[in-house]
Formats: sequence, C-alpha cells, structure tokens
Amino acid sequence: VNRTRPQRWLVAATYALVTVVTAATLYPVALVLKKAFEPGRDFALSPSPIPRAFTADNVLQLISARSGSGDLLFVRQALNSALVALITTAIAVTLACSAAYALSRYRFPGRQSGLASFLIVQMFPAVLLLMPLYVVLDRLRLLNSLAGLILVYSTTAVPFCVWSLKAYFDSLPRALEDAARIDGASHRDIFFRIVLPLARPGIAVTALFSFMTAWNEFILASTFMTDELSYTLPVLLKSYIGEYNAHWGLFAAGAVLTSIPVMALFYFLQRYLVGGLTAGSVKA
Amino acid sequence: MTPRYVRAYGLAVSAALIVAAAAFVRYRNQSFEHRELERARVAVSAVATGSTPLGHTVAWGVVAPPEATPRYPFLPRRRLASGRVLGGPSAAPGDKLLYDAAARTEKSGPFIEFADDLVIATARCASGTAVAVSRPPAGPEPVPYLVLIGLVGLGAAIAAAGARRGGNAASAGLVVGAGGLAIPAAVWSGPIAAGLVMSAVVSVAWAEQRGWLDRAGAALVRNRVAYSYMAPAGAAMLLLVAVPFAMGLVLGFYDHHAGTWRFVGLRNFIDILSGGGHSFADPLNFWFTLGVTVAWTGLNVALHVAIGVALALVLRQPWLRLRGVYRTLLIVPWAIPNYITALIWAGMFQREYGAVNLLLGHLGLDKVSWFSSWATAFAANVTTNTWLGFPFMMVVALGALESIPRDMYEAAEVDGARAWQRLRYITLPHLAPALLPAIALGSIWTFNMFNVIYLVSDGRPGGSTDILVTEAYRWAFERGERYGMAAAYATLIFVVLLLWTGFGARLRRGRSE
Repeated sequence: VNRTRPQRWLVAATYALVTVVTAATLYPVALVLKKAFEPGRDFALSPSPIPRAFTADNVLQLISARSGSGDLLFVRQALNSALVALITTAIAVTLACSAAYALSRYRFPGRQSGLASFLIVQMFPAVLLLMPLYVVLDRLRLLNSLAGLILVYSTTAVPFCVWSLKAYFDSLPRALEDAARIDGASHRDIFFRIVLPLARPGIAVTALFSFMTAWNEFILASTFMTDELSYTLPVLLKSYIGEYNAHWGLFAAGAVLTSIPVMALFYFLQRYLVGGLTAGSVKA
Repeated sequence: MTPRYVRAYGLAVSAALIVAAAAFVRYRNQSFEHRELERARVAVSAVATGSTPLGHTVAWGVVAPPEATPRYPFLPRRRLASGRVLGGPSAAPGDKLLYDAAARTEKSGPFIEFADDLVIATARCASGTAVAVSRPPAGPEPVPYLVLIGLVGLGAAIAAAGARRGGNAASAGLVVGAGGLAIPAAVWSGPIAAGLVMSAVVSVAWAEQRGWLDRAGAALVRNRVAYSYMAPAGAAMLLLVAVPFAMGLVLGFYDHHAGTWRFVGLRNFIDILSGGGHSFADPLNFWFTLGVTVAWTGLNVALHVAIGVALALVLRQPWLRLRGVYRTLLIVPWAIPNYITALIWAGMFQREYGAVNLLLGHLGLDKVSWFSSWATAFAANVTTNTWLGFPFMMVVALGALESIPRDMYEAAEVDGARAWQRLRYITLPHLAPALLPAIALGSIWTFNMFNVIYLVSDGRPGGSTDILVTEAYRWAFERGERYGMAAAYATLIFVVLLLWTGFGARLRRGRSE
C-alpha cells in the first residue's frame, strides 16, 4: 500500500466495484424490506427494491393474528423464543463459568480431553443428537414443551460458553488472584469475589451470543414443536411460506421484526466474535 | 483391612450392583409382561365360553358382528351377547375399547397386547368376538433388597478376609466377594448379565492390583477444587450429550419400523456403505451424497475465501473513502439469522415471482426452473451460502491485513518490488496463518449447513442436492421414522467429521512446525 494515490482509472474502477458488490449484497435485504411494507402475497412482482405502494397491513396483520383459543400468536411466540433463549443462556452461562475457570486456571488429569470434548461437541451438527434426543424427549413426554427445547439447546450452548469464557479467563491477569491467595482468601472467595466480577464483560458477551444462537435456531424447534402455541419465531416464519399458501408479505414483516433485535446485537458484538471463534479452533 | 480395600470393594460392588439391578429390572418387566399376557389369555377364553373371567378383568363380553342402525346406516352398531348395545348415552366406560377391539379382530385376527396400563385380549368364538380388558395390579415384584444386602455383606466379609492375608489373596477375595452378585444376575437375565458383572469386578481388581485406583484417588484428592468447579458442567454434558450420543451409536444397530425396534447388527451400516442397491448416480446412494457434500463444502469455502480476501484487499486501501460504511454494509448478510437468509433466497429463486427470474426477464433471458435440474439447484444453494458466508472471511482477512507492518511494504517498494510481488511475498504469507483456522471453522459450518439445503432447494430435484446432514434428518423424520438408519447415518457423519478435523489439525501442526 503506497501513500500516493494510484491512477484515476484504478480509483474509479475500485469505487465502481465496491459499490456494485455492496449493492448486490444489500439487494435481497432491500427486497424483504420492500415486501414487508408492500401489499400482496407474492414474493416480488417487479425486481425493483422500491415499493410501489406503502402499507403497514402486513405488520398489523402479523401482530394481531390470533390462535383458535384467542391468544395473540406473534406475541406468544416471541415470548416463547425469548423465554427459551433466556433460560438456555442462564443455564449455560451458570454451568460454564465455573468449568471455564477450572479449565483456565488449574491443571488436572482430564483437562485436555475435557477441552477437546467441549470443542468436538460444539463442532458436530445438532442433527446428530437430534434423533436420540427426540426419542428420549418422546419418552419423557417433553416433546412440544419449551422445557424440552431448552434441554436440547443447552447441549450446544454449554460447550460454546465454556470455550468462550475460558478464552476470556485466559486473558485476565492472575496477579489479583495470587495476591488474594497470599492474603488467605479461600478458593470460593477468589472465584466469587474476584474472578467473576472481573469477568463481567466476558460473561455478558458470551451470554449475548448464546442468546442469539438460541433465538435464531430453526430446525430443532421445528422438529420438536408441533403445536401453534409452543412455536418459536423461526417456526412461525417458516409456516407463513408453506408450499401451497405462501404469504410473503407476512413472512417479510416477521423477518424484519425478528431480525432487527439480533442484528443490532450483532453489530454491537461483532468485534468480540471473530477473536473468540478463531481462538477456539487455533488452540485445539 | 486397609481403606484401600474398602474403596476397591465399594467400587467393584457398585459396578456389579448396577449390572445386577439392570438384569433384575429386565427380568421383572419380562416376567410381568409374560404373566399378564397369560392371565389375559385365560380371561378371554373364559369369556368365549360364556363364564365370568377371574382376576383383574375390568370390561369383557362377546361382541356381535356390526349391524346397521335404522337412523344412521353409515354408523354400524354392535351388541354384546347379553343384548346390550355398545356405546350410546348410557354407555359403560369400557364400551369403546370393546367395540374397537372387536372391529380390529374382525379385520386382522385376534390379539393380546398391552395398551398403556391395560391388557386387551380378543378371541374368535361362535357368536362373535370375545374381548377381555384387564388392568394388571400396579407395581410388579419389589426389588429383592434382602438378597442383595445379604450378598453384599457376605462379599464384604470375603473381601476383608482376602485383604487381611494380602497379596494375591486380596485380589481373589475381591473378585469372589463382589463377583457373588453374578449369581442373581445369571438367574434373572442369563449368562450375559453374569459375564458383565464378572468382567466389571475383574477389571476393578486388576486396576487395584496395578495401583491405578490409588493414583486415581490421589489425583482426585489433589485436584478436588478443579474437579468441583468442573462437576456441574461435566454432569450436564454427560447427561445431555454423552447419553444421547451413546444412544445414537447403539440405535444405529437397530431397525425402527412402525413403532417397534429390532436388532439388526451391522445391516444399517452395510446398507448405507454399499449404497443399498442404488447406483452411484442415485441420490439415495451414500457415496453420491458424500460427493455432493464434499463438492458443496469445497466450492463454498473457496468462494468465501476468494470473495472475502478480495474485498478485504480492496477495503484496506487507505485512499478509499467511506471504508467503515462499506465494511458495515458488507457484513449485513452475516448479521441476519441464517434461516431467514435461506428463506429469502428460496423466495428469490421461485419460478414465477422470484426476483432472480424477474431480473433475468429484464435482461431478455428466459425464466429458469431453478430446482428442476441438479446443476441449477446446486447453484442456487451455493449462491445463497456464498452470500451468507463471505463476510466472515472478509472480516478475518481484514483483521489479519491490519497486523501486517506498513514499513514492510515501504521497504519492498524501495527495493523495487511490483504490486503483485508485494501481494505474493508479503500479503499472502501473512494472511495464511490467520485464514487457516477460519477455513477450518468455515468448512465445518458449511459441511453442517442444514438450513440452506433444507430451506432453499430442499433436496430438489429428487433429493439430489441433499448433503449428509439433511439426508440423516430425512431418514429420521421424513421416511417413516427410520430412526435406526438415521442413527447409523449420524454415526458415519461423525466419523467423516472426525477424520476431517483430525486431518485439518495435522495440516495446521505441519504448517506451524
């Protein structure tokens, strides 16, 4: 990279290229935004991303749809999604904090294999565990229940949180802990009074990622949930574009409402994400 | 007797007790089922001969063949031999069971079976179908605690005697003492259970003699703080991952058909690996699907890296204005939940109202049925996944490029290096170490990218664009609940991924050395 500006044609070509690629990247997003606020059920009548008519009908219809028993469906399912994601995150982070701390600070037999197995579990597809879990949940009568879904999500959330928190604990200096130990603090005091408060930013980021993952999960939810009232948002959105009676307007409105919170979170967090993700796979 | 032998005996007896308890439960369930089915058989033959059945029969009778009702000819009714009509406003609670059992017997023959907590038995007789519904008494045989406690106590005495003499007698005492539980296990469940008990006990005695138990115990005590921190997450993973995983491995050896499991040994695996009689060009052939998966993974990762690195190289130019804005806009696809991305692109590739075909129409081209041929359907999937995946590589590459010291370029320029030489000898060698882990991660994500395949092409045409994970899913949930096949498939996917990650790790180690 030289300090001087290169030739004019090269600058122009670069701007043209970047602009075209960016426009192409944003095009599908623009189409969905357009569809969310345009009347009609079909996906697109024209390829232009600018709506010809503006309406809030899709959003209103989506939010006001009611089930046979009179519940507001979208609100109910948004609550389901939020509840599942929150409880999964709470379980995973609670379990992972102490385990990640042990893996980061102590050397003990089984540490390496523990790390490796947390990593492997995280890499293997959920579909692999889906079927045995389905059989177990069927026996336990937990199909179609949010509790079952929470259990299933925890299988991937716990290892993710362990790795992510371990990376964070690794980055914390040990000096404070050593000082506390010399002053006679117990293991428990060190963990609860020194390490956890110091790790708050790392715990927050890990929790938010774990929340996003659960919020965005589709296939497990759509396999385990068959009752409209226990759907999560991804299952609802898919149901709007069934093969024979697709309603793309409702889908687009739902997609916009569902994505905005997680996209905001993502932009807030993305600088932490890359480091965390690659750290796990480099050190393995 | 030293504490060592208390520990060794405790361990051996616990292992033996678990096996013996499992053997007992199996024996109890089998004998319970056997006994109750036999009782139901006796009851129904009593009903057929017109006498009152004994035992726990809650509803019974000889049901006559259906007769048409005057008002609703399409709703046949049935009578008992006593003349009472089954069903109706004043129906007895068991009427529906009697009616349905008779109908089923007329259609497919008599049966005796459990239905939840009831046993239903039917038999044909002269005036119709004899049906007996019995409710077995709750709580089958209790666990024989006295026998077990006696055996454990006796075993403890034998083991203690052995330990007092020391040496080989100690091991022998341990094996004989704890191995006593093999006798009830053999009685309840046969020689296999006894063998399991004995092998558990012998391996504990062996570990004790080699000093492994000592070392494990010492390690446990030494690292008790670390282990107590690990315990909650470890227990959760054992319960939520290890158990289902082990179940999945075992289920691969069973066939699930119409609600019943049958042990079939290696047949699922042989079926899958031999292609199950399908040719290599048939989407149901495992090797075809594996080929599609490899092509899918390779092509996607190559495109992600190529596009991501190219954009990163462009976005890094210091004279480019609005770099931050472009960067922010270009990672939008990564921020959107990927199932939504997949559904959006599924809509864009629709034939009639899909944006892609509308754009082609504006360019004067014909509409394409994207999902009616393999190549176009595969291309649609790849397009979707490329759109969704390049921002990750771009961000990784941008991060790596930022860490290259600028003065290296200046020095190269002073030395007269051309632009492509700077790229070849400075930029790319610095990019590689950062990109390799990202590529490893990206290849696993793509290999497992269920949502794009399932939601965009959905395997069309004819399952030919399915990858391994979607294929496994279809065996379980879309082809008549063939859980056994799905489990075998999942096991094979596990092996493929394990080989791939092992290979990747070796590759990376090789690079770093």
